[in-house]
Amino acid sequence: MPEKQFSGLAVEVYGVSFNYGRLKVLDGLLLGVPRGISFGLLGPNGAGKTTLIRLLVGLLRPRLGTIRVLGQNPSPKISHLIGYMPQLPSLYAELSIIQNVEFFARIYHLADKTERKQRVEAVIKLVDMWGHRNDSVMRLSGGMKQRASLACAIVHNPPLLFLDEPTVGLDPELRVTFWEYFSALTRQGATLIISSHTMDDAAHCDRLAFMRDGRFVAQGTPAELRQATGRAEATLEDAFLYFVRRGEGKGDV
Amino acid sequence: MSSRAFTIAGRVMRQLIRDRRTIALVVIVPLVIASLVGVSVPDKSILDYIAPAMLAFLILFFGFLITGISVLRERTQGTMERLMASPVSRLDIVGGYLLGFLLFALLQTLIIFFYMIYVLKVNYYGELWQILVFQVIIGIGAVCLGTFFSVLAKNEFQMVQFIPLIIVPQLFLCGVLWPVSQMPDYLQWLANCLPLTYGVDGMRAMMLQGQNLLDIGKEVGVLAAYAVGLLILAAVTLRRGTSS
Repeated sequence: MPEKQFSGLAVEVYGVSFNYGRLKVLDGLLLGVPRGISFGLLGPNGAGKTTLIRLLVGLLRPRLGTIRVLGQNPSPKISHLIGYMPQLPSLYAELSIIQNVEFFARIYHLADKTERKQRVEAVIKLVDMWGHRNDSVMRLSGGMKQRASLACAIVHNPPLLFLDEPTVGLDPELRVTFWEYFSALTRQGATLIISSHTMDDAAHCDRLAFMRDGRFVAQGTPAELRQATGRAEATLEDAFLYFVRRGEGKGDV
Repeated sequence: MSSRAFTIAGRVMRQLIRDRRTIALVVIVPLVIASLVGVSVPDKSILDYIAPAMLAFLILFFGFLITGISVLRERTQGTMERLMASPVSRLDIVGGYLLGFLLFALLQTLIIFFYMIYVLKVNYYGELWQILVFQVIIGIGAVCLGTFFSVLAKNEFQMVQFIPLIIVPQLFLCGVLWPVSQMPDYLQWLANCLPLTYGVDGMRAMMLQGQNLLDIGKEVGVLAAYAVGLLILAAVTLRRGTSS
């Protein structure tokens, strides 16, 4: 993986705030994500997860604070090193799965035809959609679209992946399958930033940040966050509620 | 503009070919409208006068509509966001759309033109290839206009709302139905600001008077300036349109 050429953290966020007009969406965020792990942004709808991801992939600019992604400012210069799976499936409905994946492979300049074909085939097989590769996207179920969308996001083998609610709307079985895909990617050395509002996802992540009202209320590993509640049987949901009730602005556990 | 623009153009064409309704809108609907005009016009000499202007108008209208909705769909379905996070530049995206639609604009132009000439028996002077080149220039302008206004629209409904605002006034003000010179001064001034006026003037000069592209250099120049200006505006405003 080309990821090895970078040193330090995959993502650094220093004092980042963001407003939509007068509405404050993110407020003084501080975050460091080590490389090669799956990092979960957990919080209810409206917590600011999508806005933070859009800032990290360079679609938005922070009003205040600094963002470093793979040691650089988010810009088109590093966009080939980043994979992004937006919240919507974000595919061309008239085209087939293979045409969609092939298109993004070309966009990311996988110029060599043989290499591109192999890579397109590999990612479609990874998400178990090879048998449906020639199906038009508009005929696919929600879960199949999510899988095809993931294939488009990873076709260029990015060392850093941003996945915005990738498991939303998936049935429990497919959710487990998705986490198998994600584990395979981190084993290959990729860093995954995954947003979610379900604690099922949280348990699969190596590290977590609990978000609420545009702030981080706690960060740590799932075990650390559970232990911090002081109850042995506490779930991550309990931990989330514990930190929310304890007040905002809590740093690392 | 890089090779990625050609990748986008190829994808745009593949999408259009797979969308039967769009193909029908590009090919069949303009023929129906042209037929209606041909049948309803009482006098053959009036048809000869209206046909060049109608050609310019139909190219502008359908170019605007199809490009506008396609670019908008790219945004509403989320693929624009994905492209914006990729190494593609905004000029690649706008240029890719322009190239992708150009072939369809050309195809549409050929179909309407030959239908008018051979089925509706419209008379024309001037060289055929030069007339077609000028129609393609109008088509490029239409694609740029559609791309730019799609940036301002939030959904398909808003895009359709632009039709009475942007397209219909040009039908009445730009000399399609009656000469601009017969309108009040202030409307003539307004007409001179609208791109279709130059499309209509150019088409009439070629088809009715047999002029060539050099003779209508002013019209070609103004339409090209419009296209370049709108293309730059569309590229500049594209990111803002997707990120807020």
